[in-house]
Amino acid sequence: CKERRGSSLQHKSALFSCQKQMNSHESWSLSPEEFEIWDRLYRIKESDGIKEPILPRVPFETLENLEETPKPEEGAARELSLSEWSIWQNQPLPTALVGHSDRCLLFIAAMEMMELLRHQQGECSYAQELQPHLHVEDVNIPGNKRPLSVANSR
Amino acid sequence: ALVPAQRLKAAVHYTVGCLCREVEEDKEVQFSKQSIAAISEITFRQCGTADLPGLAGHAKRTTVNTEDVKLLARRSNSLLKYITQKSEELASSNMEQKEKK
Repeated sequence: CKERRGSSLQHKSALFSCQKQMNSHESWSLSPEEFEIWDRLYRIKESDGIKEPILPRVPFETLENLEETPKPEEGAARELSLSEWSIWQNQPLPTALVGHSDRCLLFIAAMEMMELLRHQQGECSYAQELQPHLHVEDVNIPGNKRPLSVANSR
Repeated sequence: ALVPAQRLKAAVHYTVGCLCREVEEDKEVQFSKQSIAAISEITFRQCGTADLPGLAGHAKRTTVNTEDVKLLARRSNSLLKYITQKSEELASSNMEQKEKK
């Protein structure tokens, strides 16, 4: 218990010194010195000849679009791609401090599966494997009149 | 009794296939069997990553309710609006059914 108190005190003092540092700026924004460093080293300017990176915003295809998407000038920005390097993504990439989440592992497994299916033509091994396990009572789609055999023959 | 994963996957695959055929007719595109398989597998696994019991537990509940479901849709305003509308429709139709009884 003593140890615990000690560590929590340490934690507090670290927080305190951090706050003290923050206070020296006296605001959330950059100090003039920091601004100078940012402007010189990191800020993207026209003379750099590179485009400003922006994240893609993909609206839902099947829903009314509510998201505000302020479109930058055509060609002025470089939209970062999440699919350009898809063939690299069927294996876990290295991590630093944060491990891969379940959701990330799901993505990797799906990419791996798609890599395996990519070379198949016509019949699909996944479908053939599952077909014998289908129980008709498990599936119920209102308005679906076509039986499985018809759907499959297309 | 625990339902074998293969049986669950088969049901998901069948349903995904039907939904894809609807999209095919609607948009006049074709899905390969392999892409339907990929969507099925992703749907099946996606069900395992949605932490609904975790969200309910966070609110000190043991029963998952519609608020937990809405939280899953929080990243997109369009999706959240859609889910909220559906949730309200469901709630009002449930009320009607109760009144009938």
